[in-house]
Amino acid sequence: MRAETKLGRGEPAREPLDKFNFGLRLMAGTFILFMLVSLFYLYVAVGNSWSLVFSALLDSRILGAMWVSVSAAFIVGALAIVVAIPTAYVLTYSEFKGKSLLETLLIEFPQTFPPATVGLVYLLMLGPGSPINIAYTYPAVLIAKLYVSAPFAMSFTLRRFREIHRTGLDVIAESLGGKTRHLLLWVLVPLSTTDLLGGFSLTWARAMGEVAATLIFAGAIPWKTEIFPALIYLTSQSAPELALAASLIAAALSIAALMLFKWIVGRRR
Amino acid sequence: MSELRVENLSKSYGETKALDGVNLTVNPSEFLVVMGPSGCGKTTLLLTILGVLRVGQGHVYIDGEDIDSLRIRQRNIGYAPQDFGLFPHLSTHDNVAFGLRARGVDRSEVEARVKEKLSLVGLEGLEQRKPSELSGGQKQRVALARALAIDPCLLLLDEPLSNVDEGTKAEVIVNLKETIRRTGVTTVCVMHDPDDALELGDRIAVMYLGRIIQCTAPKDLLENPEGEVVRRLLHHLLRSQLAES
Repeated sequence: MRAETKLGRGEPAREPLDKFNFGLRLMAGTFILFMLVSLFYLYVAVGNSWSLVFSALLDSRILGAMWVSVSAAFIVGALAIVVAIPTAYVLTYSEFKGKSLLETLLIEFPQTFPPATVGLVYLLMLGPGSPINIAYTYPAVLIAKLYVSAPFAMSFTLRRFREIHRTGLDVIAESLGGKTRHLLLWVLVPLSTTDLLGGFSLTWARAMGEVAATLIFAGAIPWKTEIFPALIYLTSQSAPELALAASLIAAALSIAALMLFKWIVGRRR
Repeated sequence: MSELRVENLSKSYGETKALDGVNLTVNPSEFLVVMGPSGCGKTTLLLTILGVLRVGQGHVYIDGEDIDSLRIRQRNIGYAPQDFGLFPHLSTHDNVAFGLRARGVDRSEVEARVKEKLSLVGLEGLEQRKPSELSGGQKQRVALARALAIDPCLLLLDEPLSNVDEGTKAEVIVNLKETIRRTGVTTVCVMHDPDDALELGDRIAVMYLGRIIQCTAPKDLLENPEGEVVRRLLHHLLRSQLAES
């Protein structure tokens, strides 16, 4: 409703400053600035070295790191969804002692467990000296990243399955004669596609950024196990321009992929 | 057509008794309405018969067979919940076909039975519509067709009219009665509204605090209400009847 004021008909009356609203916007603005400043600084730091960025795209080591990082993140995202579906099903439909602890160990704990420790544990468990030695191989990259990143897919899937469970659609499916496979494949998964895509997207993002566990367990062998963050870390002292160029390529790649995932999820809603 | 017998059924949630020694027999092809105020145990009774809730004490028999140990899908009971429970991602056709496909019925048989059930509830032409594109009354009919498609031995309806708007309620009641009469399936329907209950049921079981306090034909219920609780539940109907006489 527009108030009548002496400024003229229909002019909105000037309201006193809403301090709460202003404070809220100030806090939000500060945080947004904090999150974006590093990206902006990276852009500025590249400065006149754009030719370096383009030539870096032809650098074999950078291409290798790009291939290992991106392919591993996609495989880990897909694997995480494949394991999250049955695990979320079991956690939704089974009652057992210690369920809450198990959920914590599967979802929250891996996010607080230092990735370097994860890498160390896998190195001791599946490294030189153990019956199965897969250290410093591509599968080691996948395992390290899966442990650190899969909780995102797990969390999204479990939350959605529980939401569907609360609607009672599972009871309807069973009353109609549906078995576990019908409930899972005809009801739970089709009704969770948006959340599965969301879980995939966050898992992919976390897998792209993960470095410590992978570096310790899989090392950094170009074209085999060297990922973007490891390349940046290892070359930041000896060849800072290369590290800078690799950082910008990694950032651009991640933003593009995440926007693509968001677009796909948005289309499904 | 099957007979349902509920024998001394009890169910507690902590200290609260949701069902307190319920005894009930529903004859083959009978339409029994369980009526009572909110929280009297109607839905608990329905979900215990369906197998969602475990029997605390007592037994549920269908045609003399104790079904307490059977899983939900083994009971062959059709169920339509209050919110209709339609699968939102499936079309009308696929909702009705769900149970038949899950039971491995072959494709041509599925098509024939879906067509027959949709025609029974008068929904021909709406096969490809998603639940979000249907009215409350239409959703109710899809839920009914879906429950009937599996040829259940018993049909359980939870407040079938609660999500139907007043304008179409009378039509829905006529459709519901007619559909169930034509299939002859034994039906237990839970309702809180006495007007709707008396309109639909062959017999009415009045439930209060987890017990069946009177179970009789609608006319008899109006003429001989037993006890204060039944009279209170039916008070406006009894008053209008008195005014008419």
